[in-house]
Amino acid sequence: MSCGNPHATPCSDVLDLVYEFLDGEVDDEMRGRIAQHLDECGPCLQQYGLEQAVKALVHRSCGCDVAPESLRVQIVARIRQVSITYYSREQ
Amino acid sequence: MDDVVDPIGDEVAPASGPEGPAEVSARFERDAMQYLDQLYGAAMRMTRNPADAEDLVQETYLKAFAAFSSFTEGTNLKAWLFRILTNTYINAYRKKQRQPYQSGTDGLSDWELHEVESHTSRGLRSAEAEALDRLADVDVVEALAKVPEDFRMAVYYADVEGFSYKEIAEIMDTPVGTVMSRLHRGRKLLRELLEDYAIERGLITAAVGADGGDES
Repeated sequence: MSCGNPHATPCSDVLDLVYEFLDGEVDDEMRGRIAQHLDECGPCLQQYGLEQAVKALVHRSCGCDVAPESLRVQIVARIRQVSITYYSREQ
Repeated sequence: MDDVVDPIGDEVAPASGPEGPAEVSARFERDAMQYLDQLYGAAMRMTRNPADAEDLVQETYLKAFAAFSSFTEGTNLKAWLFRILTNTYINAYRKKQRQPYQSGTDGLSDWELHEVESHTSRGLRSAEAEALDRLADVDVVEALAKVPEDFRMAVYYADVEGFSYKEIAEIMDTPVGTVMSRLHRGRKLLRELLEDYAIERGLITAAVGADGGDES
């Protein structure tokens, strides 16, 4: 996995944090260290690229659902009905 | 009447204070209904069929509306709605559904995980990333549906909804560490499934995956 060259941040640390890095869950200092490592290390960059591709793919393909309009109408109607029932009881 | 008296006085009204029910429902429609498509999308990932997803979303909204007066305005309404969706699903739907893949999968065997780890360990990563990118949406949706539920939903919340780990932890009522482990395992499983689809569709040759496995 490693390119064999010495790095300030070892490949194993970078690969352990690849998801957190991808998800924006590392602090600025670690973000900088990982970014620098990815600039220097081809194998880690490829691994990162693959993880990034999967994340982008899920975002692209699995976020396209549109609820049927009939569902929206039905929910709003029921909420108003509940609200009116409540209102009548309170008066 | 069981209204809670606000000890601070009239200046800080409780969420449902001076509002009549009509105003509350108008506010709910304005603030909460905008997440309908997103909740429906998550419900589709959970139930994997439109009829159950519609029922689940409707029940979620009715529960949310009933509890809306206890919701503090200015806090995270979207995460709150997803939390109710998750609870409603666990309590009402998960039990009665026939599931090809069982939940409670944090204890996925080392063998299964090893299969994933060894699937690709060298070479052609960029070509592989490009090949995955050419997969049809329907294949990606199907692959994600095959990932065990807890892993699947963690991946969905992070990658589609962009929730932070902390928000996912609240939605799934689990520690952040568990969210991270679900994401790790879910993504590894998903990647393997996507690679299988890519091989099946002729987007990458089987040799890429097989060679990688032999080398590890």
